[in-house]
Amino acid sequence: MDAITVESLARTYEGGYQALKGVSFSIAKGEFVAIMGPSGCGKSTMLNILGLLDRPTGGRYLLEGAETAMLDDSRITQLRRARIGFVFQSFNLLPRLSALENVALPMAYAGEGVAERRARATELLTRVGLGRKVENTPLQLSGGERQRVGIARALANKPALLLADEPTGNLDSKSSVEILALFKELNAEGMTVVLVTHDPAIGAAAGRVIRIKDGALA
Amino acid sequence: MNLREAFRAGAREIYANKFRSALSFTAVSVGVASLLYTMAQTKGMQDALQKNLDLMGPGRMTVEKKRNYKSKGLSRGLSYADAKALRRELPDLYMVTPRSSYSVKLYHGRTKVEGVNVAGTTPEFRRRDWVYTLNGRFINEWDVENRARVVVMVEPAVWIKKPFWAKFWGEDDPYDAFGKRVNLLGARIRLEDAVFTVVGVLTPPPRDLDPRWDSWNTPNALMPITAFQHAFSRSADNPDAVDEIQVETGSDRTLGSRRRQIEMILKRRHRGEEDFEIKDMREEIESKMEDMRKYVKAGFALGIVALLAGGIGIMNVTLATIFARVREIGIRRAIGAGRSDILAQFLLEAAMLGAAGGLAGVALGLGGLKWLATLGGTRDVAEITWTQCAEGIALAAFVSAAFALVPAYRASRLDPVEALKAE
Repeated sequence: MDAITVESLARTYEGGYQALKGVSFSIAKGEFVAIMGPSGCGKSTMLNILGLLDRPTGGRYLLEGAETAMLDDSRITQLRRARIGFVFQSFNLLPRLSALENVALPMAYAGEGVAERRARATELLTRVGLGRKVENTPLQLSGGERQRVGIARALANKPALLLADEPTGNLDSKSSVEILALFKELNAEGMTVVLVTHDPAIGAAAGRVIRIKDGALA
Repeated sequence: MNLREAFRAGAREIYANKFRSALSFTAVSVGVASLLYTMAQTKGMQDALQKNLDLMGPGRMTVEKKRNYKSKGLSRGLSYADAKALRRELPDLYMVTPRSSYSVKLYHGRTKVEGVNVAGTTPEFRRRDWVYTLNGRFINEWDVENRARVVVMVEPAVWIKKPFWAKFWGEDDPYDAFGKRVNLLGARIRLEDAVFTVVGVLTPPPRDLDPRWDSWNTPNALMPITAFQHAFSRSADNPDAVDEIQVETGSDRTLGSRRRQIEMILKRRHRGEEDFEIKDMREEIESKMEDMRKYVKAGFALGIVALLAGGIGIMNVTLATIFARVREIGIRRAIGAGRSDILAQFLLEAAMLGAAGGLAGVALGLGGLKWLATLGGTRDVAEITWTQCAEGIALAAFVSAAFALVPAYRASRLDPVEALKAE
């Protein structure tokens, strides 16, 4: 069973703009895939749909073999919370929370106890190399460190799928290399990683590249 | 989401926007304070009313001269003889006591005090409105029958805690000053042209605790009605005249029937002239209380209006908060928050804001009441229970949450993708 299967996936916005015009592919479990393409080609829309933040207007999306079209919002939220981890280009950490609290937040929404949350968040932050900065707020961290917090947060609920939208887009080259290494490491441990990028270096590091152009596979 | 954490997150958010938060809950505070004051007043009034009525007796009435009545020359007006006749003909009345009062000059040694309010009465005076501690003795039947020149002085009431206005004019009462300097018991004093012996001294309760609604209007000295009439009679054609007759039937059930009987007896004695009127003092107090109740209702309305205004303020702030935190909402949704989590978060924040406003309102209300209690003297001493404070805070929290419902709902319906794009 594949981690992701999309069949003639389409997304048309109100006003008629077609971001995706029928894209089909599948991603196996444990794959490291880069979705690449020029700006405005629809790759972010694709990622949002894969991450269950957005819904397609046509075609099918199967997450771990299960159809997602009929699910209601609460079920979608549950699925997103339990199976998907998001990493953003601009990190999207909550500025008033410490690194630890940021990482613990998805677990809080999953209803886990305070002690487990703390323990796992500390473990994850240690794992991404921020064991000594758990109490720092995002403003007290460098860009690379923020993205590490972002990754730790994405891993909080032990997802099956890690989605990253230009994760190195706001980072210097040294941090980019480190973050990329982290992704590869996670992938080596069996995590399915899908990232959107237009950095050819990252594309080269991925196991497979899906190219999109003007809303269709290129 | 753990509740304690949610509280902490809310507190952090409120604290981070101190000024906005404070502004938004000001109206809530005013509302709560006003409601609290109203509730306290209601309670205080009821207590005051009850104490008063207990003290007055259940069947209390006052017979007094009819105002603006022009005598046809048949009646000589209300007299001590009338009181005696009532006592004789209606022996089951608990209290029948005449009262006349006059403002006189008091001389003692080199001291001269003007404006001493002297009242003539009978021993039955003691049966109602008695709040005093007695030193020496009270006037007795013998005094009344023999027109004894004895007087019972009433000490000026003290304050446990003096209200600020008393510092301006209360102290200047010359009788107050006199009472403090002289050990009155056994002394011979001159009132106008007559010399009296002080046989007793009455000490009223502190003014803060005096349950009588007309405690400021009590006589400074009491003497036998007969001696009073002899020394201070102002009516040439009727030396037996009295200002009023206080009656208490002993039961509220007999009030109506005795009232009619008293009317009949007095009308007969006054040769058909109705130159007197019977006032039900309870009615009078109750109508006074009714007036106060109206003020309280106004306070209540003010409280509700302020609370609603506060609620709208909270709604506004919640809208602003949400507008400023669209991106945060997007992030939370992306990492696993459901719509209900977002809804709960903003409702909780609003409720906390409301509760903070409520707390400030309670502080304001308690402070204000303390001040008002010293300001208004005995009758305005209002009580606030902790339950009322808690109710006030809970109400503020509830109103705030209710007003935040619409904005919070809208926040929960935001499209996560759109929200994440927000700056």
